[in-house]
Amino acid sequence: MKSEKVEKKYMPEISRKEIDELRNSVKTASQKIMAENIERMKKADPNRPEVMKYFDEIANLFGQRQKEILAEKEKGKKVIGYMCLFAPTELILAADAIPVRVNSGWYDTSKLGDRVVPVEVCPVIRSTIGAKMIELSPFLELSDALISVLTCDGMTKLSEILSDYKTIWGMDIPRVKDSSQSLRFWNDEIKHMKAQIEEFTGNKITRKSLKAAIEQTQMATKAFRRLQDLRKGPPVIMGRDAMLVNQTYLWDDKKRWTEKTEALCDELEKRVQRKEWVCSPDTPRVLVTGTPMFWPDNWKLPTLVEEANPKGIIVADELCSGERILNDPVGVDEWSMDDMLSAIGDRYLMASTCPCFTSKDGNEDRINWLINKVKEWNVQGVIYYVVRGCMLYGMEYTRIKKALDKINIPVYYLDTDYTREDVGQMKTRVEAFLEMLTARVDF
Amino acid sequence: MKEPSTIKDEVEFWRWREYHRVVQGKKWTSKDIITAGVDVGSVSSKAAIMINGEAYSWGITRTGSNSPESAKKALDWALEGTGLKLSDFKYIVGTGYGRVNVPMANKAVTEIACHAKGANYIWGPSVRTVLDVGGQDIKAIRSDETGRVVSFLMNDKCAAGTGRGMEVFADLLKIPIEEIGEISLKVDQEPPPVSCTCVAFAKTEAMGLFRKGWSKEKVLAAYTRAMAVRMANLIDRVGLEKELVITGGQSKNIGIASRIEVILGVKCLPMPNWRENGLDPMIAGALGAALFAKALYEKAQKS
Repeated sequence: MKSEKVEKKYMPEISRKEIDELRNSVKTASQKIMAENIERMKKADPNRPEVMKYFDEIANLFGQRQKEILAEKEKGKKVIGYMCLFAPTELILAADAIPVRVNSGWYDTSKLGDRVVPVEVCPVIRSTIGAKMIELSPFLELSDALISVLTCDGMTKLSEILSDYKTIWGMDIPRVKDSSQSLRFWNDEIKHMKAQIEEFTGNKITRKSLKAAIEQTQMATKAFRRLQDLRKGPPVIMGRDAMLVNQTYLWDDKKRWTEKTEALCDELEKRVQRKEWVCSPDTPRVLVTGTPMFWPDNWKLPTLVEEANPKGIIVADELCSGERILNDPVGVDEWSMDDMLSAIGDRYLMASTCPCFTSKDGNEDRINWLINKVKEWNVQGVIYYVVRGCMLYGMEYTRIKKALDKINIPVYYLDTDYTREDVGQMKTRVEAFLEMLTARVDF
Repeated sequence: MKEPSTIKDEVEFWRWREYHRVVQGKKWTSKDIITAGVDVGSVSSKAAIMINGEAYSWGITRTGSNSPESAKKALDWALEGTGLKLSDFKYIVGTGYGRVNVPMANKAVTEIACHAKGANYIWGPSVRTVLDVGGQDIKAIRSDETGRVVSFLMNDKCAAGTGRGMEVFADLLKIPIEEIGEISLKVDQEPPPVSCTCVAFAKTEAMGLFRKGWSKEKVLAAYTRAMAVRMANLIDRVGLEKELVITGGQSKNIGIASRIEVILGVKCLPMPNWRENGLDPMIAGALGAALFAKALYEKAQKS
């Protein structure tokens, strides 16, 4: 409310009435979609683990978690939003602030974004702009400041547009990953971010608080990896359920999320003992990679795969809305401030397989990691998912296809958009791909 | 669906031949494995009946607004003159865009798998690349010697360069759709392709060329060329391996087929003489579905 009179540099002036009307209609539609997604997930696994109810509740973007964050804010806590995974959440946690990721997964708001940027722009960006336009996203609205990591072109310009409303801290990420000057530069960015967060929150990040924050995310990584590892064997959890658990980490309370995920893994381990599979162990095992799939509307592909005829199961992903969230822990040798900060720098830069990077041999880290995942998770087919306008993922496809061809793993390039209109056509493509994988066994 | 026209008695240039056929000299008994494949596409519905995995009869009709009815219509037509009734079928497979809405089907299989299988049946085991040009999409499929899909690509949701696009163009130029291929070849020199094959802009594009003084044939050649380029690109991306065949409604468009051959520098396997007694490449999907039906029936018998 306070900045009502500030002239907007990017966004159109929209009346309060229009904002409210649009928000209410999109919100109502979104609540329906979230409920339907969850209903379908329940149906896919009639014996769905009890603890999934917790994640269903957290997944309700307009539910309990929104209220919790609001209550914490009222007690004086700051909320720091971020758009890319490179934002060092440990620093946010160490300053006693709440980190939330704010990318938008709403199809409807991408059309609103068209008022500000051309339709050729990646729909994740357009959708986030649209969500801001109608004040739809609780986590974006609750954010007191935003960390914008300048990864792709869309993210870079998005941060400018959002500066109409929010304090934005840009983090300049080096594009060439494997050089000492890049790491030095990035480590300076991390230090600078620490100072900004401290100043903004008024909380000093101490050796003790940072150590505690790092240890907390390490615990989360442990739980996260435990869940991913459980998907290496015969299917014990539907891919969609695991993906939902992964994604809720982005806005949930970290400690509680870790406990619940461990509880889920305890239950799943029992099921492994009892050989209680969630679907036939013959079900084709799929890995998805490419553009992030933000909840809730982007459940389109996972739903199609796991409800297809013949059906498949997603056993792994290589997405920044999934696996990449927590796969890599911050590895600290000595708990000095300098050491911790450089460990954070290392983890966010070196471990990432984001296609915004290139190195001496292209983005070889991503290729190697994908091949490794395919082998360890016994993947039979890869779906390479790209939304229109997502340049970096689109451009990396050719090389990845060749690499996967070499190890005889079929890969399917699935291009789509923030729309529901292509579901029928996508279904044919997904089913034909799964038939192809099934044909390797029988048919 | 037919476009609303302002003039009542306007000739429907887009309309292609709906027909059915029973292969002569074939007989069936109740001991035979009688199966059917029903392919409900976005523009046409096809049904094929097989006896012990051999093509026996088929019907091709336009898809109406209701998938189950279109499926029934196509199958009824394939049944006509055969003495067969629905209860004689051991297994029926539905395929095509409306595959989940084929009420009599025991199972649905995608048209991608079915076209590869059907092309293998029509042309034999040397087929490795199938271009299926459907009413609303184009698929480039790579298959092995048994007709199994090895990889495939499909255009996005845009209808550019598809059968539906050709229908719109036939109406626009007032050329009967079945002659469109021949006429597109009646140019002394191949004009450059139109820059945009978008169905929605077809009219604007064509009008611009007419204003430049282009003949109907030349405009059609430029449009057909652009569609062929689009298809050739798709084949290129999936990786062309010989032999190449074209299935779907557009397989009958000589203007498309001959241009693809020129662009890619390969010959397609010859088109069966479907007007007389050969198999129709338009029913490749339905034939493939009927073959899957037989395989699925036999598999069920074994277990």
